[in-house]
Amino acid sequence: MNLIREIWQSIVRRDPLSTDKGKSELVFLNVWLHIHPAKVKKENMKFRHTYYLGFITFFLFLILLTTGIALMCYYRPYPPQAYQDMKDLQFVVFMGPFLRNMHRWAAHGMVICVFLHMCRVFYTGSYKKPRQFNWVIGVLLLLVTLSLSFTGYLLPWDQLAYWAITVGTNIGSYAPLIGGQLRELLLGGHSVGEAALIRFYVLHVAVLPAILILLTIVHFWRVRKDGGLSRPIWKLKPKTEALVTIGVPAEVAPMQAAAASKDKTYGLMEVVTGKPIFETVTPEEEEDTVFSYPYAFVREAVVLMATVTTIMTMSLFLNAPLEELANPAKTPNPAKAPWYFLGLQELVSHSALLGGVVAPALMVLALLAIPYLDRNPSRRLADRKLILWLFTIFVVANLVLIVVGTFFRGPGWALVPPWVHVVGGAE
Amino acid sequence: MERKLQITFFALSLLALALILAAAWQANTPSWKTYQRSFLQLEAQGEPNAVAKAAVLGTPPEIHQVLLPGLQRVDRCTTCHLGVEDPTMKNAPEPFRYHAGLGPHIPSRFGCTICHGGQGLATDKEGAHGKVEFWPNPLLSKDYIRASCGRCHKEGEVPDVPELTEGRHLFETQGCRGCHKLNGVGGSIGPDLTGEGANRRSPDWLERHFLAPNVISTGSAMPNFHFTKEQARDLTYYMLSLTNEEMGSYFSSVRLIPSPEYGRQLFVEKNCLVCHAVGGAGAKTAPDLLGVTKRHSIEWLDEQLVNPELVYPGSSMPEYDLEANARKALVAFMATATPEDVQLILSKKPRALTPEDVAIEAGKQNFSRFGCVGCHGTELQGGVANPNAQGGEVPSLLHLSDDYTKDEVIAIIRNGRVPPIDNAAGPTPPLYMPSWKKVLSDEDINRIADYLWSKQQKAKDAW
Repeated sequence: MNLIREIWQSIVRRDPLSTDKGKSELVFLNVWLHIHPAKVKKENMKFRHTYYLGFITFFLFLILLTTGIALMCYYRPYPPQAYQDMKDLQFVVFMGPFLRNMHRWAAHGMVICVFLHMCRVFYTGSYKKPRQFNWVIGVLLLLVTLSLSFTGYLLPWDQLAYWAITVGTNIGSYAPLIGGQLRELLLGGHSVGEAALIRFYVLHVAVLPAILILLTIVHFWRVRKDGGLSRPIWKLKPKTEALVTIGVPAEVAPMQAAAASKDKTYGLMEVVTGKPIFETVTPEEEEDTVFSYPYAFVREAVVLMATVTTIMTMSLFLNAPLEELANPAKTPNPAKAPWYFLGLQELVSHSALLGGVVAPALMVLALLAIPYLDRNPSRRLADRKLILWLFTIFVVANLVLIVVGTFFRGPGWALVPPWVHVVGGAE
Repeated sequence: MERKLQITFFALSLLALALILAAAWQANTPSWKTYQRSFLQLEAQGEPNAVAKAAVLGTPPEIHQVLLPGLQRVDRCTTCHLGVEDPTMKNAPEPFRYHAGLGPHIPSRFGCTICHGGQGLATDKEGAHGKVEFWPNPLLSKDYIRASCGRCHKEGEVPDVPELTEGRHLFETQGCRGCHKLNGVGGSIGPDLTGEGANRRSPDWLERHFLAPNVISTGSAMPNFHFTKEQARDLTYYMLSLTNEEMGSYFSSVRLIPSPEYGRQLFVEKNCLVCHAVGGAGAKTAPDLLGVTKRHSIEWLDEQLVNPELVYPGSSMPEYDLEANARKALVAFMATATPEDVQLILSKKPRALTPEDVAIEAGKQNFSRFGCVGCHGTELQGGVANPNAQGGEVPSLLHLSDDYTKDEVIAIIRNGRVPPIDNAAGPTPPLYMPSWKKVLSDEDINRIADYLWSKQQKAKDAW
């Protein structure tokens, strides 16, 4: 009995959870949980502030990681075996369809949630000082997510995959000077073939997930270091006060080592003085705080299970598409890029330079530069009318182009409403 | 609020568990297991006692599959069609019935889909029968199933499938290659037909297409050849058999069935009777072949056909470079050859041709083989409709010498030609003369010109 207690205590060294000390220690003695603060501000955890979109995105990534590893056990990245493996998943692997469906729907979900998360951060002005760089990391994460989805798109090696990647990489090749070479580097040749499949596979299962994980670590770390979740806009202080000290002031006092006291452990906060980099808590906000356990954890757990059950329910009833074996000699009409690139393809259909080069380059640059271009320190909606309108137009334009490209384009990229059935396009 | 959230969390966790169980249940109850249970019950009926019955019924369900790397397929059809190789299931209901009349084509060696089509990888009925979206090869209907023989047996006669032989013959004699490529040889006006069988258009579509090309695919440049219904069906058979799938050595070795009929054809072609006789009919230079299969073993005869010098040092018999099945066919013919039949061969022997005749005959062969007849007609009469070209049709070649020298004609064959247009504002005529210099050698082209010149009707003289 003693031995069991000893083992348990060697694993869990915190005080009982009934005590405040125990609640704190649960967080900061645990390597996985200590990304949380021991205490969180109640208002910051409100659903209508963040909609938990960042969490949902992260949980979708966890689903993708686990199902992805399971899928790797059944997949050979060379044609045409790759396609046969899809068929085996569909017909003979136990719960194979469920596995693949989960991976597919979680992947689409992640692209959508990353985008929505970005919109939330924008509308709440949470990219502003001191969180500018974390916004930049976020934009990079969006790009990595899109790349992951794009590289995964090819792997089933069916007609849908083959032509979506052919069209998608063609869009990229419109970039002047380097476009063609870049495409060749990515595909390992002039067209999508065996070499492209193995390259996409390596990117999809090794390179890009590694980059995503590294960037995610930085992203989470910065959330903590920038002062935790941003304050909801309804909690912003009256205009005159503006924010409490943000960033390192120019007149920062030189660092001084404080005299060590005997009854305290040493942490950075003990030896460094000067103003903090992050948002600080005012006394009235202090009353608003609660212990992360269980307040934050139960909310996160609910969101985790809601995400998992949603994806599972979808996977039970909706099957991921699998078309015919990839056939380079048989072009579907119209051949479409993955849905999130259809806005670009729509632009390309009007002007290759505009859709293939100018628009995507400007979009990425503008997104990256937003926190540095927007000099307005206020996060209040009323103070940010112009930029909110601009961003809304950007989002709506993107959505409209994607919807038009997805549902309103028929053979020959002609404008065909989805309720009109085009007969005999192939013959 | 906190309490509610905790309850929500547990409720959602239970839901997740339920969903996993539901997915597992879904995965564990595929339709093929139901079929296997019915089959076991059927089998158990035949067992004499309860113990044996229980043993049969206790067989665990499993997926049966035939792996055929040589045919590039995996067929799981026998997961449900459990009685195909079991003659006692002759009168069993489908899907358990015995497949009679397969000859050497046993499912464990050939699978099912190579003949029947469908999706061998699938384990549910609709998917396996290929009647689903995104599977281009649904099951072939009973009427056309024999077309599949041609997927392996690409040459010679296929017993019981005269449609295939006739379809191939029509394809080679009606000038289809003039517009269509097949295995790298042919024109490029129409689509390449090398893998046409793998595209699996519906047989019905193909048949109607051959009867009226313009009606089925509007704007098609393909002329109406006025095929009969039977001919359209023969061509459909041939189309369905065309595949560019690479098959393993075993399956490609059976291109040709070593039948005695084919052996007889070779026997005539290779002029065996110049030296040999059968029962006294024929020449006396080499041994009489009557009963030769009784005097020597099959292996000996095969070796003799490969390398006569090795078997009989100093033998004057030439090496014929015959493939294995051609040698087998010859041996099969020799086993059944009778003096009467050989006499018949001798009596039909055509007179020897002069060198000029040979050139013209070779030209005629080329004219047919490379598809010129498709547009210009078997008698050079032309007349195939070509809207908006001058005259509205492909010109006759019977009066070439009025307008061209032989060298000019050779140049046109080499480089091709777009026909002069009737109405400049109208559409481009669908048919044109392709360039042949990459397909035909200069010698071949010269022979075609010789052939054309031998057929010229001297219009000027007639005036």
